Amino acid sequence: MSDPMVTQIQTPAEAGETPTPANHTHRIAWFSLITSFREERFFLLLAVFIGIFSGLAVICFRLAIEWTRIALLGPLPHAHNVRLLIVPTLVGLLVSVLVIHVFPLVRGSGVNQTKAALYIYNGYIPFRTAIGKFITAALAIGAGHSLGPEDPSLQIGAALASALGRGLELSREKLRLLAPMGAAAGLAAAFNAPISAVLFVIEEVIGRWSAGILGSVVLSAVSSVVVVRWFLGSEPLFHIPAVAFVRPSELIAYAVLGITGGIAAVVFAKAIGYLRPKLRDLPRYTQYLQTAAAGLMIGLIGYLGAPQVMGAGYNYMDQALHDRFPWRVLAILAGLKILSTTLSFVSGTPGGMFAPTLFIGAMLGGATGGIEHYFYPHLTGSTATYALVGMGVLFAGFLRAPMTSVFMVLEVSGNYSIIVPVIVANTFAYLVSRSMQPIPIFDLLSRQDGLVLPSLEEQREQTILVVEDAMRVPSVPVLHSADTVQQASLRIQDAPEDTFIVQISPSGWNLVTRDTVKKLMGEGKGEMTLLSALPIRHLPHLHPDMPLDTALRYVSHFLLIPVVHRADLHKLVGIISREDILKKYQLSGIEEN
Amino acid sequence: MISQLRLKAFVRRPPVVLASLLVLAMIGFGVVHRLVNRFGEQKKALGRHLFQQSQADLRHSRSDYAVDDLRAALDYNPGNFDYELTLARTLRDTGRTSEAESYLIGLWERDPQNSLVNLAIARLYARQKLPEKASQYYHNAIYGVWPSDAQAMRRETQLELIHSLLAENIYPQAQAELISWSSALPPDPNLHLTVAGLFLDARDYDHALDEYQMVLRHDRNSVQALAGAGESAYRLGRYRTAQRYLASGLLEHGRTPETTQLLETTNMILDANPYARRISSREVSRRVVKDFRQAGVRLSECMKEKNIVPESSAKLPSLQKKTDNDKSSATPAPPNDLAALYQRWLALKPKVTESRVSAGNSLRDSTIDATFEIEQQTATACGAPSGLDQALLLLSQNPTGAER
Repeated sequence: MSDPMVTQIQTPAEAGETPTPANHTHRIAWFSLITSFREERFFLLLAVFIGIFSGLAVICFRLAIEWTRIALLGPLPHAHNVRLLIVPTLVGLLVSVLVIHVFPLVRGSGVNQTKAALYIYNGYIPFRTAIGKFITAALAIGAGHSLGPEDPSLQIGAALASALGRGLELSREKLRLLAPMGAAAGLAAAFNAPISAVLFVIEEVIGRWSAGILGSVVLSAVSSVVVVRWFLGSEPLFHIPAVAFVRPSELIAYAVLGITGGIAAVVFAKAIGYLRPKLRDLPRYTQYLQTAAAGLMIGLIGYLGAPQVMGAGYNYMDQALHDRFPWRVLAILAGLKILSTTLSFVSGTPGGMFAPTLFIGAMLGGATGGIEHYFYPHLTGSTATYALVGMGVLFAGFLRAPMTSVFMVLEVSGNYSIIVPVIVANTFAYLVSRSMQPIPIFDLLSRQDGLVLPSLEEQREQTILVVEDAMRVPSVPVLHSADTVQQASLRIQDAPEDTFIVQISPSGWNLVTRDTVKKLMGEGKGEMTLLSALPIRHLPHLHPDMPLDTALRYVSHFLLIPVVHRADLHKLVGIISREDILKKYQLSGIEEN
Repeated sequence: MISQLRLKAFVRRPPVVLASLLVLAMIGFGVVHRLVNRFGEQKKALGRHLFQQSQADLRHSRSDYAVDDLRAALDYNPGNFDYELTLARTLRDTGRTSEAESYLIGLWERDPQNSLVNLAIARLYARQKLPEKASQYYHNAIYGVWPSDAQAMRRETQLELIHSLLAENIYPQAQAELISWSSALPPDPNLHLTVAGLFLDARDYDHALDEYQMVLRHDRNSVQALAGAGESAYRLGRYRTAQRYLASGLLEHGRTPETTQLLETTNMILDANPYARRISSREVSRRVVKDFRQAGVRLSECMKEKNIVPESSAKLPSLQKKTDNDKSSATPAPPNDLAALYQRWLALKPKVTESRVSAGNSLRDSTIDATFEIEQQTATACGAPSGLDQALLLLSQNPTGAER
């Protein structure tokens, strides 16, 4: 497919301009500059601009949320303030009207929508979605709905990138790549964490490791973070004292936290997975009331004494990391946040699940750490340490992005001393969650929406077949190029097959059939060597660890492919034919079923 | 139509596209810059307002409200050093030590040389009865960077450290800090009086006496200095000096029950001291006999208290071989030791008369030794004595220095 950007690069003559002697030299320089913009370079520069625009948009989004919160809930929201009841209810009503009538594509978090844009809509995300997501999510989160700004930021970034691509009339292929670039930029800006954003986009949005797009995604994520840090400073999301991990035996305590987090993640995911379709099946008029009802219930929780669960809750996470709450309070807050976020999300309120996941993880981690300290006072990790590890635990268990979860903890805290406990706890959480809830939450949501989108977790589950699985040990003699046709004829006389591998000296492989040998003998070329008698043809070779897909590319042209040792190209370890490959695929399909 | 196509082709050229994007980005930067600044100012103003509110709350002893205000102020102005430090101090003062510690350590990591932060952490650990950690941060504060009036602040902090060490009974370190602190003091009698008192509290009686004497050189009638000097000399076992300060300087005024008690004990020691200079041999013998009898009474009372029946077969301990360490041992004397001592006292009793004591130095010395040994052993077994027994016990600890 030709790239439109390449075709746009035209010489002045092509553009219909008449060169004059005065500007001839200048035009040559300009021409060379233009032609130097190759497709890749342009795309990389575009990635930088996508990062910049996404960063700027996310800053505005964050300001909008904060401004809304201050304006609606006041600078210091306290329990027993009637505002906490009224504001989320009324704003919920307004948001549901906007979602139903003006911005129908902004429901939910935005991750699946971005993924759907990549795999189903050729990278198309309406610009209206970005605006809608900005307004509705800012209103909902600012009014205290228990959701976060990260997933909407991801969608806003993707929508901006998509709009930019369409404006530039990029090809469908390029347009498809822009959405993940924007998504990474948006998420990186929201978290101030470029590595986590890139990993998340790869793990959850793209769903596969693609070297082709990785550079652009990284570039856009980094540029958006640079913009955010330019305006808002380079401080990490949370300020916590250096965490010391002292005794390896304490990893058991973190493993317990991982198991607890995994179970909590399953409860959270199952609650959403169960309630969401139920609420969507209710009569249409109830859609107007669902968000308001969720707002009322969350407001009630805040009014009765837990305003911490309202909104994204970053300040309360920070306070939990500073040992503000005793473990009982932390446990209660974790439970209430699961409840309030479930209510917000299943009612279709636009907003993300990243911040609530971190909140629940921090509270649950702190509570688990507190209980462990109660029984084992010699544990050196502070409550803050457990709260920090807990964030990653729930991220790994609920969002099922294990790599992102580790880097996210490191990046949001700016603290790399806790990596081992984080890895241990996250692994346990991931395994527990996967065993109890086989379908990850984002896949579950997309299936509820009638979409089947690829996921990296599914790919990880799939067995990758390699050449070694299908090759067989050669049962027929291997001929040498120095053999005469007559010698070859004698050697293949009793062989069951009709095609034979010829090893060429000093290197290389060829094929010869029984018919060819017979024909050469008939032509009286029995004394000639195979090297001189056979037509020169280079036969490709394979290695045992190569994917079976690669072998499939060659077997249509050659009846038999030699499989050779990587360290000794003269050593034949097997042969493979089209029949062998098809047979293996067939068997593999039966085994999987 | 053609010109439109040309224009379209022109604007789709990569350099033009990139230039346009650059212009758009610059406009975006400008707009966002204004927004961020404006909102940042608004947030800072809110933060300031909440901080002021917290100060008012603190003034009215509404610490919980103050903490809430400070937390909110910090939300609106994250990373503000003053707000965070004030929050941490308030949390510490309201007993929320673990949260305070978390904030303070965070601040310390940001600015480890800041003396205010180090002092706040030191006070936190001092409050938590963690003297080693407290000392470490007090030292950091002393040698750190102060925002203003560094010398005075350092002096005050070191003084606070000394008080903290004394509160935890860590005398050697307190003495070292005191020596360092007092070395840089100006020649102000009041300051030296304070230092002398601290030396006295730190049980560094030599330095205390020196400091009191320095004060007395400026004001020889200073009641505090006289009492302090008297007590210091008394603790050093220099009872003649103690008597001079306690008796002569505090004749009519400024005598407290404590100084009166000290003076009485000092007088008793000096009256009971058989090694006193410029007394006749008869007086020496009289004192030896009197002290010996008193020791016998003390011993029999102690044995009665411990229900020990004297055994005629008990062997006499080798008293002279006892070392100083043995004397200061906290382990109570075993009953058979007291019984043996009693046997020894009984054996000596018929010999110890004024005439026989004055006749031979060896009997005098062994009697004095037995007396002192009895007082020390009974003090270990039956607790601190009073009156003449207390005087004899103190005398036994420094018999030759008493006249200094």
